Amino acid sequence: MNQGNPVTGRSERCTLCSEPPVIRLPEPERHLCAAHLIADVEERAARTISERELIKSHDRIAIAFSGGKDSTALLVILSRLLPAWEDVSLVAITVDEGIAGYRNDTIRAAEEVTKKLRIEHVCISFTDLIGDDLDTLLIGRETQACSVCGILRRKALSVAAHKAGATKIATGHNLDDEAQSVLMNTLRGDLPRLVRTSDADSSGCFIPRIKPLAEISEKEIAAYLFVQDMFPFLPECPYTRHALRLEVRTMLSAMEQKHPGTMRNLIKSKRAIEKYVDPSVFSEPLRRCRVCGDPCSGELCQVCSLRKSLGK
Amino acid sequence: MKIILPNSTINIIQEDPVSITSILDNLNINPSEVIVSRNGKLVPEDTLIGGDDEIRIIRIAHGG
Ligand SMILES: [Zn+2]
Ligand SMILES: [Zn+2]
Repeated sequence: MNQGNPVTGRSERCTLCSEPPVIRLPEPERHLCAAHLIADVEERAARTISERELIKSHDRIAIAFSGGKDSTALLVILSRLLPAWEDVSLVAITVDEGIAGYRNDTIRAAEEVTKKLRIEHVCISFTDLIGDDLDTLLIGRETQACSVCGILRRKALSVAAHKAGATKIATGHNLDDEAQSVLMNTLRGDLPRLVRTSDADSSGCFIPRIKPLAEISEKEIAAYLFVQDMFPFLPECPYTRHALRLEVRTMLSAMEQKHPGTMRNLIKSKRAIEKYVDPSVFSEPLRRCRVCGDPCSGELCQVCSLRKSLGK
Repeated sequence: MKIILPNSTINIIQEDPVSITSILDNLNINPSEVIVSRNGKLVPEDTLIGGDDEIRIIRIAHGG
């Protein structure tokens, strides 16, 4: 084993072999070459999946596939792990929100990747779902972009997943996303949301969602793709991001840099709280949307109340 | 030595050798928000660079 320079921690070689390193990772401190990084990331995703029992025999997994880095990594990883599971199939679902100058490129990239990996690919657009694209829907309400888009994207995904016969929906949420969500829900004082977000919800009404990359950092995902020439150099969404998430992201990555392990510790705290919380305290009696019949918490589901406010 | 920043502008640096960590530090870039390549190959931030190296700093875009 090559431990590198004990003073600087610098290493000219991978900790596991003699190849040049591409990344330095903490806990345990190690330098990895491209091949060992790929193996490390895939092994950890496989461990998350088996420890949390995210995928079972005969599952049909719908992968929420935007063509961005997280979902591209998810697709590559699941396609490589696939032979290890009995009778599991994958279908990639891309939602076309209809954002001019942004979506066309990412959809083309998404098509190339699924073709290369030979994974069934389905596209669904906001126009299919609600009759208009996001750009049109947002005229005069641009500041609500992320919430409108989020509600419709979730719905589009679940419609397409149902149609494809999926038993689970896999999303590319990574360790950074998870840590950000914990902190955001804490800062908002939203305890129900804090303890309700993890893993698959078992309500039986929705297709359960799984997050196989929840233990892998954003940087590891980017590096994993880069060394395989699969890093998507794509434009960012032109609509303003959720302001609070952006602030939390900057703050957390600065903290992580100074105090490695911060993100993992946040998630650990959340899991500890979850253990002590009686979930029934927060579960509202299940109701059905008055218009579409979807399960929801109020009188109208989010999609129908959005439709109403859009006059759709 | 040539440094290509995330916004595609190019910095020429004479200092040699220097670690990528200190370059990112000078540019006020958090290492966990970028990946860095030297002559097209990904390298860890503790790598010493110099000479004719071409360094590219790639921002890890959020989302997706
Ligand atoms: Zn190696
Ligand atoms: Zn409804």
